[in-house]
Amino acid sequence: MAELFSPGDRVRTSLTDPPHHTRLPRYARGAVGTVVEHQGRHPLPDRRARQLPAEPEPVYTVRFAAAELFGEGDHTVTIDLWESYLRPAAPEVTR
Amino acid sequence: MSRINDVGGMQGFPPVEQEADEPAFHADWEAHVFALNRALIGHGVYNLDEFRDAIERMPPQEYLASSYYEKWFRAIATLLAEKGVLTEEEMAGG
Amino acid sequence: MSGDHTGPAATIAARVRHVEALLEQRGLVDAQELDRALEAFLARASPANGARLAARAWLDGGFRARLLADANAALPELGLSMGGGLQEQRLKVVENTEDSHNVIVCTLCSCYPIALLGPSPTWYKSEAYRSRVVRDPRGVLREFGFEPGPDVKINVWDSSAESRYMVLPRRPAGTGDLDEPALAALVTRSGLIGVAPV
Repeated sequence: MAELFSPGDRVRTSLTDPPHHTRLPRYARGAVGTVVEHQGRHPLPDRRARQLPAEPEPVYTVRFAAAELFGEGDHTVTIDLWESYLRPAAPEVTR
Repeated sequence: MSRINDVGGMQGFPPVEQEADEPAFHADWEAHVFALNRALIGHGVYNLDEFRDAIERMPPQEYLASSYYEKWFRAIATLLAEKGVLTEEEMAGG
Repeated sequence: MSGDHTGPAATIAARVRHVEALLEQRGLVDAQELDRALEAFLARASPANGARLAARAWLDGGFRARLLADANAALPELGLSMGGGLQEQRLKVVENTEDSHNVIVCTLCSCYPIALLGPSPTWYKSEAYRSRVVRDPRGVLREFGFEPGPDVKINVWDSSAESRYMVLPRRPAGTGDLDEPALAALVTRSGLIGVAPV
């Protein structure tokens, strides 16, 4: 199973509020960020916590602008996220 | 469900309290909890994700009122009971 | 709470001892093995390890590049490793520069490179730090007495998966004639987390 995303790709995180353990922080739900690098492949903790079978899947380091997450701030927040938490986002429009 | 441990960005918490030259463990029992958790995970009684999940399932008011290793011990006890390793009555006795 | 044998009446120390004794009786843990493992861990892992890595990186550009590219591969050059725990985790070292500063947190729990640096400080694990540093890093750094200039871009790393993070602080000015041990002595645990300049 090849990685869906590459460094530089824009990704959007899931908006779902799951009824179980997860490693997508709520402050980063439904946010658009940029993939910084691959982090290897690991089984999804959402499933491991419930002793469900989980094949290793890609994990990515994704960078978000504070303004995107909190509506304010001049810093960035970088979070390590499993591929299951991500889907493609439209490329950034530059004028 | 959004769980109480997921505090990133949450408002209302106080300034960060620092303790100068703090020891690795503030009491012997904390070191024992640390070592116990490693041993139980190492022996496959539960995995690390289950451990984190057990901490997260604590009632919110208890989570916020507990010290770090108190949370650990609570999670360990929860898992030992849920996995049928020890019963609540056994753990309460003594 | 009346009649609750596990309530505040039983101190946590006693409860821990009791559970440990039960587990020993069942053959699930060995008390001496626990003590030995703990001693070995505490002796091996400490912020001094991070300080040595920083000092070597400041003096040796090749090592610095290797440390930033693949820290796990570079650690053995100083006789260090991220092993000795439940599994060897990936260490990512992130470098402070003149116009960028890094701060580490685990908002969801308390993930930290303990195999290298030893246990994290209590404040790192607090809801106060975990909640506030991703939203207002400058405010939190100010509480630690550190105010990066307005042109310094701050990046907060939330250790939410399997990697563990350590900051490579900037070498302080005026340290040109210090040797490696003297440079290492300048590096604090706070600097390795990113709440101090070094």
